Amino acid sequence: MKTIHIFLIFIVVVLLQLFVPAKMILDREDILKTGTQYKFKTQPVDPNDPFRGKYVTLNYEIDSADAVAMDSTIHSGDRILVYLDTDSLGYAKLHSVSKFKKNTERDYVEAKVQSYNINTKKVNFQLEFNRYYMEEFKAKPAEDIYRKYNLKQDSTDNTYAMVAVKEGEAVLKDIYINDKSIHYYIEKEANQ
Amino acid sequence: MKSKILNELTELLEHNVISKDVASDISSYYQAKSDEQPNRLFTVFGVLGSALVGLGIILILAHNWDNFSILVKTFFAFLPLIIGQTISGYSILKNKGQTWKESSGTFLFFAIGASIALVSQIYHIPGDLSEYLFTWILLGLPLIYVLNSKAVSMLIIVFATYYACELGYNFGTVNKAPWFYLAILLGAIPFYINLLRKSPNANTTSIFNWLYALSIVIVLGTFIDYNWSLGFVMYAMLFGLFYNLGKISVYSNQQLRRNSFLLIGSLGTIVLLLILSFNMIWKEMHYELISVYSQEMIISVVLFICATGLLLYSKKSQKSPKFNLFQYVFLLFVIVFVIGNGNYGLGTIFTNVLVFTLGVFVVKIGADSFRFSVLNYGLLIISAMIVCRFFDTDMSFVLRGILFVAVGLGFFLINYFMLKKQKELKQKL
Repeated sequence: MKTIHIFLIFIVVVLLQLFVPAKMILDREDILKTGTQYKFKTQPVDPNDPFRGKYVTLNYEIDSADAVAMDSTIHSGDRILVYLDTDSLGYAKLHSVSKFKKNTERDYVEAKVQSYNINTKKVNFQLEFNRYYMEEFKAKPAEDIYRKYNLKQDSTDNTYAMVAVKEGEAVLKDIYINDKSIHYYIEKEANQ
Repeated sequence: MKSKILNELTELLEHNVISKDVASDISSYYQAKSDEQPNRLFTVFGVLGSALVGLGIILILAHNWDNFSILVKTFFAFLPLIIGQTISGYSILKNKGQTWKESSGTFLFFAIGASIALVSQIYHIPGDLSEYLFTWILLGLPLIYVLNSKAVSMLIIVFATYYACELGYNFGTVNKAPWFYLAILLGAIPFYINLLRKSPNANTTSIFNWLYALSIVIVLGTFIDYNWSLGFVMYAMLFGLFYNLGKISVYSNQQLRRNSFLLIGSLGTIVLLLILSFNMIWKEMHYELISVYSQEMIISVVLFICATGLLLYSKKSQKSPKFNLFQYVFLLFVIVFVIGNGNYGLGTIFTNVLVFTLGVFVVKIGADSFRFSVLNYGLLIISAMIVCRFFDTDMSFVLRGILFVAVGLGFFLINYFMLKKQKELKQKL
């Protein structure tokens, strides 16, 4: 093969390598700009990823549903669609779950099935957007701050994740404690 | 090697063993030979350097700099990628040497990982490690061919193994069979086959022999789902396939230490049979229901067909094929497994007989060919089996002691007699 031919193939590979991250960015920007925002109640804990650094895992309150209307061929590891609603306080709440896309305007997000009980028809799942990447030394304090606020047993303290949703795709924007970004608390803690 | 010979030349000249012309011919021959080959050491350091810089960049980006705006972060996500692409493109276009291509390819491979990692951080993109690794591998795979890069090819095998383990050995949560691992291997193998054709005896090719063999052995276990007892069959078939692959002329003409498939096939078979020589394993399996329509079964059957095909091929291509029990073990294993599932006692007995026969067979080959390594490998197989039997039988300590002494004496005596016989033969000659 001639050098120029190899080079042309290389250019195609280069474009693909640039396209994938660029597409990742553009898709997310679109969802952030035009998607609907939801507040998901959550609890953060911090693990880490060898290549992408520290993050806090978010355990959402929306994690199970009655799946009476669903067919019985659900297995752990399957992806299902979780349709969303908003409660009187403005937090996201579960409307229904489905294996296939419904003919409705309602927003939905994808979730991974963790277990399914055939007898009770109850499905446990995990929402996909459960990683919030943070600066290396801030992930642990973020978890501690959350614990501190949660320990007060004060029902007015609320931790939630702000998520933009569009056509089944979701982008996690920020974590909030009582309507202030978690970054505000980390800075406050650092200044003290 | 070269400098050693050149040093010798002066000594030979001084003692008038060779003439000046011969000496200059020899030195110019080695000079020309070294000019033809690119500097290998330089390539190795180039690749190592690029790999370290690339990994360093990934770690620095993994810090996840909060103070930078999204725009700045995005710029840094693309910067290493574009640098890597520019250098790689330059080395292709200017047809630079292998050192350039290997080093720039290695750097670009890590730059791809850094780039998608940083984008994932900026937008908190979900997905676990295996999904991220898969995207990375797919984007890096074509570099093997466009840059003709061995280093990238090795990285792809290592990362594909990492990906498969991450997905398949996911303890506690849902295990998934990493089918895409096979697709990645299919994508990378043509390069390896080409290497086997062009330079089967090169050091790098033998590294590939080992990488592929080890990777497949590690990953095969991820395909075991519920039918764990069929896992034994899967591995037995794989080792049978490996052994027969090692008997094909491409591999069997090489030194034994380069023939990873033969070595892993032989050792793997023995270890597997030793595990199955315990009665309790067969007892456990006896109560397991084996599902015929399962991925374990499909994989076992496919591996069985491939191994049989290779066995026939290697027998056909040899002019005077010698009987080698190891090549047939996978066939015997199937029979033993079927019997053992019906009657676990018989399964145990047959496995023990098989291990013992293999041991004796290896000892015989070693004795016939006067190879001490082979002879002792055979003795090791027999003694390993005897040692294993001490765990599940109610023998008296005295009897066990006597058996140990007997095995030890056996080692000494057989080696001693062979040494003696070898000396006698040499004297006759």
